[in-house]
Amino acid sequence: MPQLDTSTWFTTIMTMLPTLYLITQLKLLNTNHYQPPPTKNSNLQSHGIRWQPKWTKTCLPLSQPQQS
Amino acid sequence: MNENLFTPFSTPTILNQPATIPIILFPAMLVLTSKHPINNRLATIQQNLTQLILKQMMMTHNAKGQTWSLMLMSLITFIAMTNLLGLLPYSFTPTTQLSMNLAMAIPLWTGTVMVGFRFKTKNSLAHLLPQGTPTPLIPMLVVIETVSLLIQPVALAVRLTANITAGHLLMHLIGNAALALSTTNFSLTLLTSTLLALLTVLEIAVALIQAYVFTLLVSLYLHNNT
Repeated sequence: MPQLDTSTWFTTIMTMLPTLYLITQLKLLNTNHYQPPPTKNSNLQSHGIRWQPKWTKTCLPLSQPQQS
Repeated sequence: MNENLFTPFSTPTILNQPATIPIILFPAMLVLTSKHPINNRLATIQQNLTQLILKQMMMTHNAKGQTWSLMLMSLITFIAMTNLLGLLPYSFTPTTQLSMNLAMAIPLWTGTVMVGFRFKTKNSLAHLLPQGTPTPLIPMLVVIETVSLLIQPVALAVRLTANITAGHLLMHLIGNAALALSTTNFSLTLLTSTLLALLTVLEIAVALIQAYVFTLLVSLYLHNNT
């Protein structure tokens, strides 16, 4: 069985050691995992603002009957 | 016949130089690293896979065990890429070499045992005796448990070697048989469909990497926690 031929064992082991412990680990360390950008929470506005009645007159002038 | 069958497993040489060096180094080159926040599809797939595997594997460990996460991630990446690349025709799979698997298994297993001995000496020694054994059986059971502990690295290495080698051998044999029978068209379809089915089943070589890393994980977990 050619796997039991120990003449090549040194080469194989010596190549595997830096590959596994150095190169693969460095590659995995250099991948940046970016978090998805945080979404802005836009729900606070509808909770904070209450419609004030004086705005209805100002904001909807066409709804008022013409006083002339 | 014997010589022909096993020649794919002898370490390849090009002009008498060992070609195993670039062959072993090559799968690590396939791991993409990029600094962009948004990558192309291949890099994104790789990153997502890495994160998925990392979370799955490291969830069961406490903080001390999670310091091993880089080592285990690089282990599973290396073995998975090597095995998958070995499925291509005429390629050489380094994990069929017993030397490499022994050199991977023995230091890692020894590391887990050392961690267990150093930080939880009484607990790790207590593993040598299962609970609730009758007193006369204790010496024999300690010997049995020690042997089963010492055989773990050898089992890890030989399991990986034997599985990959056997799969490759089977594919060679069936392919040769299909080729030889191609003159009579009748058996060809049966054999090639068997070969294809075996190939897809052999892509459960990836499951073998899981088996490797998981058995390593199990021993690490046991030595660390309980």
